[in-house]
Amino acid sequence: MSEETGMPDVLEEVPELDLSDSIRDFAGANAEYYAETLTRIQADTENIKFWNMSAVLLGPVWSAARGLWSMFWLFTLGELVALVQIGKGIWGDLGAAKMAEAEKFSQRASEIRIDAANSGNAATSLEIADNLDNAAQIAMAEAQALGDNWWLYLSFGLTAFAALRVVQGMYANRLYEMQYSRWLVNRSIPSGFSWNRLGYAAAMLVFIVPLTLYRFTVSAPVSWMVDFPANKDYFTVSSNWLDGWFDRTADSGKEFFDAITLVAQAVLDTIELALVDTPWPVVAVLLVLVAWRVASIRIAIFTAASLAYIGILGLWEASMISIVMVGTASFFCILIGIPLGIWFAGNERAYTAARPVLDLMQTIPPFVYLIPIIAFFGTGKVPGVLATIIFAMPPVVRLTALGMRQVSPMVKEAAAAFGATPRQILFGVELPLARPAIMTGVNQTILMSLSMVVIASLIGAKGLGQEVLVALQFVAKGQGILSGLAILFCAMMLDRIVQGRFQRQEER
Amino acid sequence: MKDDVVIKLKSAWKIFGTRADEAMKAIETAGIGKAEVLEQYGAVVGIADVSFNVRRGEIFCIMGLSGSGKSTLVRHVNRLIEPTSGEIWLLGQDVMKLSPSALREVRAKRIGMVFQHMALLPHRSVRDNVAYPLEIRGESKARRWNVSQHTLGLVGLEGFEDRFPRELSGGMQQRVGLARALACDPDVLLMDEPFSALDPLIRRQLQDQFMALSDQLHKTTLFITHDLDEAIRLGTRIAIMKDGRIVQIGTPEEIVTNPADDYVRDFVQNISKLKLIFAHTIQVPISDYAAKQGEDLSLSPRISQDVDLDHLVDVAVTTNQPIVTTDEAGADIGVVSKDRLLQGIKGGK
Amino acid sequence: METNIEIQAVDELPNLDISESVTEFTGTSGKYYAREFGRIQESSNGYCWTFNLASALFGPLWATARGLWGLFWVFSVLEVIAAVMIGLGSWGDLGADQFARAERLAGNYERMMERVESAIEQGDEEGEASFRKRADGLLKAQEKALADAEEVEAGATRILVTGIILLVLVKVFEGLVANIAYERQYTRWRADRKVRSGFNRSSGILGAVIVSFVYVVTLMRFTSGNPPEIITEFPIDNTIYLQISSWIDYWFDIASRNFAFLFFGISRAIRIILDGVETLLVGTPWPVVMAVIIIFAYRSAGSRVAIFTAAALCYLAVFGFWQKSMATVALLGTASFLCIAIGIPLGVWFARSQRAYTFARPVLDLMQTLPSFVYLIPIIAFFGTGKPPGILASMIFGLPPIIRLTALGIREVPKDVVEAARAFGATDMQILRGIEVPLATPSIMAGVNQTIMMCLSLVVIAALIDAKGLGYDVLVALQYAAKGQGILAGIAILFCAIIIDRVVQGRFKDAEKGG
Ligand SMILES: Nc1ncnc2c1ncn2[C@@H]1O[C@H](COP(=O)(O)OP(=O)(O)OP(=O)(O)O)[C@@H](O)[C@H]1O
Ligand SMILES: [Mg+2]
Repeated sequence: MSEETGMPDVLEEVPELDLSDSIRDFAGANAEYYAETLTRIQADTENIKFWNMSAVLLGPVWSAARGLWSMFWLFTLGELVALVQIGKGIWGDLGAAKMAEAEKFSQRASEIRIDAANSGNAATSLEIADNLDNAAQIAMAEAQALGDNWWLYLSFGLTAFAALRVVQGMYANRLYEMQYSRWLVNRSIPSGFSWNRLGYAAAMLVFIVPLTLYRFTVSAPVSWMVDFPANKDYFTVSSNWLDGWFDRTADSGKEFFDAITLVAQAVLDTIELALVDTPWPVVAVLLVLVAWRVASIRIAIFTAASLAYIGILGLWEASMISIVMVGTASFFCILIGIPLGIWFAGNERAYTAARPVLDLMQTIPPFVYLIPIIAFFGTGKVPGVLATIIFAMPPVVRLTALGMRQVSPMVKEAAAAFGATPRQILFGVELPLARPAIMTGVNQTILMSLSMVVIASLIGAKGLGQEVLVALQFVAKGQGILSGLAILFCAMMLDRIVQGRFQRQEER
Repeated sequence: MKDDVVIKLKSAWKIFGTRADEAMKAIETAGIGKAEVLEQYGAVVGIADVSFNVRRGEIFCIMGLSGSGKSTLVRHVNRLIEPTSGEIWLLGQDVMKLSPSALREVRAKRIGMVFQHMALLPHRSVRDNVAYPLEIRGESKARRWNVSQHTLGLVGLEGFEDRFPRELSGGMQQRVGLARALACDPDVLLMDEPFSALDPLIRRQLQDQFMALSDQLHKTTLFITHDLDEAIRLGTRIAIMKDGRIVQIGTPEEIVTNPADDYVRDFVQNISKLKLIFAHTIQVPISDYAAKQGEDLSLSPRISQDVDLDHLVDVAVTTNQPIVTTDEAGADIGVVSKDRLLQGIKGGK
Repeated sequence: METNIEIQAVDELPNLDISESVTEFTGTSGKYYAREFGRIQESSNGYCWTFNLASALFGPLWATARGLWGLFWVFSVLEVIAAVMIGLGSWGDLGADQFARAERLAGNYERMMERVESAIEQGDEEGEASFRKRADGLLKAQEKALADAEEVEAGATRILVTGIILLVLVKVFEGLVANIAYERQYTRWRADRKVRSGFNRSSGILGAVIVSFVYVVTLMRFTSGNPPEIITEFPIDNTIYLQISSWIDYWFDIASRNFAFLFFGISRAIRIILDGVETLLVGTPWPVVMAVIIIFAYRSAGSRVAIFTAAALCYLAVFGFWQKSMATVALLGTASFLCIAIGIPLGVWFARSQRAYTFARPVLDLMQTLPSFVYLIPIIAFFGTGKPPGILASMIFGLPPIIRLTALGIREVPKDVVEAARAFGATDMQILRGIEVPLATPSIMAGVNQTIMMCLSLVVIAALIDAKGLGYDVLVALQYAAKGQGILAGIAILFCAIIIDRVVQGRFKDAEKGG
């Protein structure tokens, strides 16, 4: 093998590594054949094709039996397409669609003729009818032609099928060699020839091929095959039952839901008083000032510019309403999320239990939980805030837990060694050290709340979201983009201010 | 006598792992060893059957190789780690029976601890780090500042009070840790390799200072080190640990002259014995001494039998004669010949 | 015993003299603050009775001058509240609302009486009686409104007094907390000289300007019966808004007309892929699709997930969501396929070219921060409604994670490994395929997973632009508050999400184990 590669002399004398035993182990059945071919493939540098007859004959069944599952699925799909063509060629009603069209045309033509006989204006009607008849004739001819084309489908299908088999024959051994190399380092990779796998693949094919062939070659397949024969009643009955259940629960839990609404409403009102009712010059000046003091002069300028944009375009009130909602939602997220995160950091079991819930809160499209929220809380700002809270809470919980876990256990131990109480450790050591992570969480929460403003306005929360929604309904591009930018600016403003604060603390 | 015992451990065991209790039972009943514990229960033996007493005013050094369980042991004294079995007494109280609040009280008022890895609070200035134990106790800020100023002065860190730990070098951080332990003015000091990151000069200086301090103030110290020289310099007594067990406890001299096994012998082999071995250890009784030719013991220099080898060498270079040792009364009782002296320096008897 | 000695020893420590550094910190009135800080520090819990007259008198101004901006906000808010109350009490038009109402009611009463008279003239007794009854009601309401108004007016003194008391309390509070907060600031300053210190006149003046501005405007807004419009509404009519938006509309129209072929081509290309995927998922008989999905779930994520998948698919089928959910999955599949096909090469490119990444990063950030609805708008404008635009929107949302995580993964490949490969003469392509991509696989797979989830959340929203699917059902349910239907469809979405998530995660774990 060293001759072709032109290796230095010394290496030419390297004794050949004999893998044939391990290949035999790997291949199981037909070991001798594979020991020889795989060794040759390994020695080959010129991409010679090594023909595998059983792969040609058995096709996907071979790859399944040998545990090459990706190959199995790929070629099953390819062969199915080829088979469908063959099926169409042999018994498919190729012209059916055109035929139906032709029939429709001629029927329409005869209708028009009848109408024309009754009304004036017969000349034009007759002309139309003639045209239609013509079209019908053409369609008929086309259908005929299509019907005569059966051999085209047949031959295409056969060729494709044969080509696929050839490809399988050519690549089977190469792929099998790759599988072998992987198997060498990872013995859980399937190896050998397994009747089980073969049977399994055959069963799959027996199940898939006839059904699919039937579905695509017959012009009007039975309906249960096209769509699941669902009974509409199930849907109606359950949805009615759910309606009733929601109404009852909303009714019996009225106090509970009202209490939640009340609390959220109170916070909303307070923030609203501060941002919406307070004269806008005061709010604007204070926001810019806060940006300056808390972050930096650059961010203050950015804030001023964003506010000017919002004000000049007349989106002031809508923006403030959105910020109020975001503020309220973030307030609750932080109020609930940080203690939860602290708890999860200390309690492994609770965290394990809560993690899937957190995952779910982030993976479910918010649309889904808008419905129960409407059912229990109605529409308006408070439900919008609640939906936002569900969506935006996970990051702060997660990052608080993460930050608390990352506090060096040695430092905590030192504090304990000097007699600090758990409270003292929490407030004096853990929380200050976890603050960067917590602040990141808070920041993410704020941004996620802002991305919910449009969805929240689907359930009646006003503000910028509604502007965007309305624009979307009427394809008012300009309007939508302007309000969308306003949302973006609000988001960036809040983000920069919170981040700026955090960075300043970091510097110390 | 008994009142004077400040720290007492009685066959304390610590086994790490989820199946520690089962492992403990198996050790008690079947007497399996460390390797078997690890294999059968997936548990690590931290300390095994450790017993010792530390008396008031002592500096009790614990030394051993890395992973021999020193840090684990010292954490038991203030119960940062719960022992798997055994008793721990501190200042006459059974530590295992203390309520959480009583334990915190003891930790806050009676114990100061220095950690191997410093464990300073990164978000507080050096001053506030040193003042932390006092803050826990609820002292006023003025007092906290006074004390931290003072103790930072003791460890030579004046002028760094208003820095943050990350602005200090490793050795300086270790001194902050030391100052923090001293600031709470404890009866008991637990020191886990407090000088390991220091340069030789400062280390020596701090060792001297520390010895003076603990002598003067009668602190009781449990001092962990992996440096035998340090242990010998500081220790009133030394305990040598191996694989979680204490293999020998004794004064520095006992350890050096009388190593309990090969492990300890290996340790002490390269130690300078000049200050640890005394004339009475190597002398030959004068009655047994067979004088060589041309020797006249009456011409030999006379010296007390309690001087160390260092001193003997000083004397030996001035004379060709063997040295005669005397007891308190001044009576001759032994002879140290040149051969004997050289042997003593090498560490034999 | 001995311990006594030690404590004495420490007790006799010389007192640390802070007066010099306090003077340095405060700039002015150093002596006063040194004394007060000393007292605060001596107290065991850090609090003691100390009253700062300057702070009590000047409140927010003192705070700004001393650089205590946190206190400034608290003081100003409290003072403004007190001031609004005092203003309302002394000159506010408290009863204005009720008086106006009474007047309106009086007018109504007059009109009603006229109708009574006309009824009398016409001899319509029944009408007369009912009108009279209503008139009486109006009269009573008017009287009540008047009484209310007077009561409120009488309450003015109460509000005034409350306001004054509040102001006094606020002032006392300001005096009490000032020194304690200032001492904290001093402690921070010792460790960090960047903390504001000294008496800063210009800050004080700035504070004064802000405070007076805020006072005046807020008082005007809340105490005068009809405040000038300029402070309640931003003084702008929406002509600018309309102008700009119609200008944008105009440009959009031009662009969409001139580049119609481009937009059409893109949506055509997407359509072709989508048709293929739809044939596969919707066209293939459902038993086949179902079986293949379950087998796939089993192979990549184990039997528990497979059982869950089977149950979830049954739910979809039995409640008649089969075709809709397959259509949704087809949308999702196409979108994620395109994201991955475009995103991974882009990520590789960004990992290699710092310049490209620097340019692209803000765009990526923007793509993710911009609420998804906003870019639905240009997409409708250019591509119309339907499925291809829905896929495009999902792609905008789903691309950033895969790009980012691919770039991140490749950047995090240890430099020395790449260097070693280069030392053996590997080409760029060999390094990429043999080293960088395999080592970055976990990160890339995480990106794929995130991308799929992002696409899913957007595919649902895309119902808004007529992309159909399950999202459409939820949307309709939302519009008609049809809870039951909405929940059933929502659960269907949820199941799709969970199946996809589990299967992808399962694959991801496989990849981690294998690679
Ligand atoms: N929390 C723990 N969990 C499990 N095993 C531990 C734990 N802490 C210590 N050990 C084990 O206990 C043994 C003793 O560790 P220890 O830290 O006491 O050693 P050391 O003597 O202090 O070593 P060094 O000189 O390196 O500090 C080691 O084998 C270690 O692996
Ligand atoms: Mg240690």
